[in-house]
Amino acid sequence: MATQSKTKLVAIVDDDDLMRGALQGLLKAVGLPARAFASAEEFLTSGQYRETACLIADIRMPGMSGLELQAKLNAEHCRIPTIFITAHGDAKMRMQALRAGAVEFMAKPFDDEVLLESVRAALES
Amino acid sequence: MSYPVTGKPIARPAASAALRYGLAFASVAAALGLARMFLHFHLPQTFIALALSAIAITFWYGGSRAGLLAALLASIVRIYFFEPELNVMSRGLYYLVFLIFALLMSWATRARDELEVRVAERTAELTRANEELRLEIAERKQAEYLIRQVFDTSPDGIAILGRNYRFQRVNPAYELDWEISAKRIVGMHVSDLLGLEMFEKVKSNLERCFAGEHLSYADWFTNPRGRRRYRVVTHSPLQPVAGPVDAVLLIARDFTEHVLASEALRQTQSDLAHVNRVSTMGELTASLAHEVNQPIAAAITDANTCLRWLTRDPPDIDEARAAASRAAKDANRAAEIVSRVRLLFKKGTPQRELVDVNELIREMIVLLRSETTRYSVSVLSDLGTDLPQVMGDRVQLQQVLMNLIINSIDAMKGVDAKRELTIKSKRTENEELMLSLSDTGVGLPPQQADQIFNAFFTTKSHGTGMGLRISRSIVESHGGRLWATDNLPRGASFHLTLSTKAEAHE
Repeated sequence: MATQSKTKLVAIVDDDDLMRGALQGLLKAVGLPARAFASAEEFLTSGQYRETACLIADIRMPGMSGLELQAKLNAEHCRIPTIFITAHGDAKMRMQALRAGAVEFMAKPFDDEVLLESVRAALES
Repeated sequence: MSYPVTGKPIARPAASAALRYGLAFASVAAALGLARMFLHFHLPQTFIALALSAIAITFWYGGSRAGLLAALLASIVRIYFFEPELNVMSRGLYYLVFLIFALLMSWATRARDELEVRVAERTAELTRANEELRLEIAERKQAEYLIRQVFDTSPDGIAILGRNYRFQRVNPAYELDWEISAKRIVGMHVSDLLGLEMFEKVKSNLERCFAGEHLSYADWFTNPRGRRRYRVVTHSPLQPVAGPVDAVLLIARDFTEHVLASEALRQTQSDLAHVNRVSTMGELTASLAHEVNQPIAAAITDANTCLRWLTRDPPDIDEARAAASRAAKDANRAAEIVSRVRLLFKKGTPQRELVDVNELIREMIVLLRSETTRYSVSVLSDLGTDLPQVMGDRVQLQQVLMNLIINSIDAMKGVDAKRELTIKSKRTENEELMLSLSDTGVGLPPQQADQIFNAFFTTKSHGTGMGLRISRSIVESHGGRLWATDNLPRGASFHLTLSTKAEAHE
């Protein structure tokens, strides 16, 4: 079970600087605190994943992929509600992600309302 | 004193000694006989005159020794047969007369001999000179024949141009080139044949040649019938004697077919390169779409965020401005990628411009980022600083990089180990840049390292086998080389050099 964090931090992991900036800006506009990381490795080494209430991650990234990150967190019994946003998601990938506990699997460009709903749901879960 | 002279021309056979001394005896005997005959008929005594004649004849025909013998014989004959009663005084006087006469004759004979020798020498000299002259004339005729033959049958147009810029002589090929008869061209001013515009272009070349310079140039020429030909023209100064250049020897070689063929070849290569780019880009569609999609997605999000800040009560203008400027930045990124891709799709004649190779590498890494990410390939770059720019075609050089990077990715796709592409650029000696792309893929096919550059050679199921072939011809057209080596411990390395100094050869 995910531990309810007081800060309800949302973590963003995406190798694309523009996408990170856009997501962070969007969350800021709705009053949600967010931290952005350029890679899965950076997120893991930051030590902040324990305080993370919701993770928004890209799937395809240099180095560790989004799905690998998810598997790694699961292996450490750290099940963070995860929303995947990807530009080349296929059905197989979607199934894999959802089976591993992802709460949402979105294609770029995405509907910001749908994303925010998922984030809010994840934070309230 | 008189002596009979034979009217025959002097012939001097090499008479034997017997004949010569015999002549001395015979002539003196004849003088004696004649003198006795005169006495018999009571004519005046003439032995002295006849004896002197005999001596003279013997000297002339028998030489000095026989002559002296004749003089001696004549003296003896005179003493025994004529006036033997003379006293010692007058006898000595006779001897003296014969002796002086003999000496005179001896001198005359020698002088004549020397003269003959000299005449013979002069004759020989003249004969020799005559022979030499004859040979020289023959040689000149031969040379002239050759020159005429070259002039008449040369496929190159040949013309001789005087200082007054009027034609002095033209060959049949020149007539054919201009489709005007030699008769009409000779005497014509160059500007009348070439046209004023062309004349202005070549005038300085002619002036330089008249100043003594040997030069050549190439250009398109249009003859009066409108036929355009590309000619390589050589101007050589004609200076038969020291001093100012007398005339210009003009040789024009028709290179039209050659130029057209090489233009066609260049066009074909350019078309082929374009096909290769387009088909490669076709394979990259998914990755390229992602590269464009990414900033567009960000732009949409940023624009929506901007709206959120604006629709608040009260609106937060500062946050809205920040979001809007992010959106603009996103859209610019998308536009930039689209324009780069469009440039690669564009079909055009190769352009020569100064290109920063490092910038080219960085751009290509960005453009292919999705592709490398997709196959989990990490790209490391080690780019030299202060690299000089190269003169070349930006799109074609990018194409080479694209082909090589995609090849590397393909080579690593199936490898279940670290996938690493290292791109290096550095400056080498001999004013060249060297680029190396090393991957950790399957490596080069053994024993076929250079065959990979052959047309239609491919190890991929979807390959056309043209990528490396085209890349190599692009690099070579930039005055460089492209080759492959094994990368240790695994994979392949591709190296290419680009000239930073010399203008690229077509």
